[in-house]
Amino acid sequence: MVAPLVEFRSVVKRFDDFVAVEDVNFTIDAGEFVAIMGPSGCGKTTTLRMLAGLEAPSEGNILMDGRVMNDVPAHERDTPLVWQSLALFPFLTARENVEFGLQMRGVGAAECRRRALEWLDRMEISEFAERDIASLSGGQKQRVALARSLVIEPRILLLDEPLSALDANLVIRMQSVLTRLQRELGITFVYVTHSQSEAFAMADRVVIMSRGHISQIGSPKDIYRAPANRFVAEFVGRNNIIAGAVTKTAAKTVTIEGSLGSFTVQTGQHDAPRKGDVARFVVAADLAQISVKKPKSANVIPCSLISEEFIGSIVTLFLEAEDGSELKVQLQERELSKVDLKSATTTYLSWADEHGHYIGVD
Amino acid sequence: MRTFSIFKQTFRLPIVLWQSLFFIGPLCFTVAMSFFIVRNYRMQEDFVMKNWAKMLGRDYFWDSYFLTWGLAGIGTIVTMTVAFPAAYTLAFKVSETVRRWAIFMLIIPFFTSYLVRIFSWYVILAESGVINAGLSYLGLGPFVMLNTKFGTVVGYMTLTLPLVIILQTFALSNVDRSLVEAAFNLGCRPFRTIYRVILPMARTGLIIAAVFCFILSFGDFVSPYYLGGSKPPTLPILIVDTVKSGQQWPRAAVVAVVMMVTLFVVAFAGIMAAYRRRVG
Repeated sequence: MVAPLVEFRSVVKRFDDFVAVEDVNFTIDAGEFVAIMGPSGCGKTTTLRMLAGLEAPSEGNILMDGRVMNDVPAHERDTPLVWQSLALFPFLTARENVEFGLQMRGVGAAECRRRALEWLDRMEISEFAERDIASLSGGQKQRVALARSLVIEPRILLLDEPLSALDANLVIRMQSVLTRLQRELGITFVYVTHSQSEAFAMADRVVIMSRGHISQIGSPKDIYRAPANRFVAEFVGRNNIIAGAVTKTAAKTVTIEGSLGSFTVQTGQHDAPRKGDVARFVVAADLAQISVKKPKSANVIPCSLISEEFIGSIVTLFLEAEDGSELKVQLQERELSKVDLKSATTTYLSWADEHGHYIGVD
Repeated sequence: MRTFSIFKQTFRLPIVLWQSLFFIGPLCFTVAMSFFIVRNYRMQEDFVMKNWAKMLGRDYFWDSYFLTWGLAGIGTIVTMTVAFPAAYTLAFKVSETVRRWAIFMLIIPFFTSYLVRIFSWYVILAESGVINAGLSYLGLGPFVMLNTKFGTVVGYMTLTLPLVIILQTFALSNVDRSLVEAAFNLGCRPFRTIYRVILPMARTGLIIAAVFCFILSFGDFVSPYYLGGSKPPTLPILIVDTVKSGQQWPRAAVVAVVMMVTLFVVAFAGIMAAYRRRVG
């Protein structure tokens, strides 16, 4: 069996009394695009910095190619990082920035220059090679930072929220640049972000972190469709999270009764809860349906329409149930025109049995 | 259209007055005085080149000039070198609290007169002083340290070292940590990072520290007089000697003007180098 490129084994990182990363275990295979996602302070950047050797784990081991890396200093690792601040050297030109890593590896001056220019050309910024960093735009700096890291031909590239300083249009452009690069080079990208859209748009696998722990690891689709717990369900958003007390348990199903009604969902991978526990399940907004006539389904919540939000062809309807809780339905704009919501005083949110996703007891 | 604001002018006036009364005025007078003449030990207004020709034409003036340059230059190099590891440690290796206390401790020497601190070196550097007593246990010495160029440089450093450490610490503290980490990340060894990243980033502050150090040493009278033995004289000593021997205020003014011009050039060149946009 081939060892994974990177392996975190029970890694803990403490700063004085503060535990930044607690018992983190995961592996990254060669050639994967992995995103580490979570809110600020969840330990994602610390995890990345430990991989680069800029922080030492307090406990546990980090392995690369099966070799324990804990005692290997940062400058002996081939783990270039693209900083959130970019960290380009302001006293060097774009080309000299790109040459830096090559010079450190003892590459001759002429070869440094040739390879640096080749990468600047590949990043479509060769005309700015001799410019000062300060005179470049945000997007151009971004490309210099990428060239500087990739010119040393690493097997793994670490990215720490590299797109957070760019405006929305540029973010989309750079996302496609990054995914194309990753595919062409076939190297591993580890991408830290707080942005769900960036992570889901680019990554093969997403690691969601919360308070130093890993909440879920899976493909973007897994995480979107089958959040493992309440934190992931809330973080991913666009979900209706319905809570209630467990009134009945059966093989593979559980009945939850709350202020919105009594519903039965499948437990899936989760352990069966006990009667009386407070449990939750999720109905994704785009899997919920809305109607003005009461549907026959067992999963119905009567509610009233509060507001609508258009994003292109997608409409999100915000609804209020009788107990005051807010619910969401997402649908295509042309589907909405079939439902006459304007005249109706009461609407009904419903879902098919298989779309109720149980997320356990907390 | 510009409006004359009394409010703004009121704030500008004190500094303008101060500078013209106590800097520009005396400076102009010194320059004018260098063309005056001394008759029967009395100075008279005149416009002759004699003082300039006399001073600049003498070897002892130029010996003194280059000696002052040499001592201040060596003092600056030694001070900058000795200060750097200390400043580097304070800027990068210690906690914020330790840094604050260290800066505070470095200010304390300025509480006492520089002259008093210079005299305390007698106890340490004298032939029967602390250092020679210590060395005699090892069967070495005694070494003559007072009334030597070594003594002068030690004196200069007494004046400049705490200030230079403080200025260097501020210069290094402003270096963006992520740039240092970026250098490590790209394979740069910690020692190499100092001259590849930290020195270029801290350049402005470090040059200003060196300029300060040079200016303070170049114009210092106390150290070369009391610890350097005043022979051969540095320029500040030469000024005093020239005045004492025959009331030659105009010739002393020549020395003073030469010193001023030298320091203007050094300070200007230093500032230009410090703020030049790119290296090499």
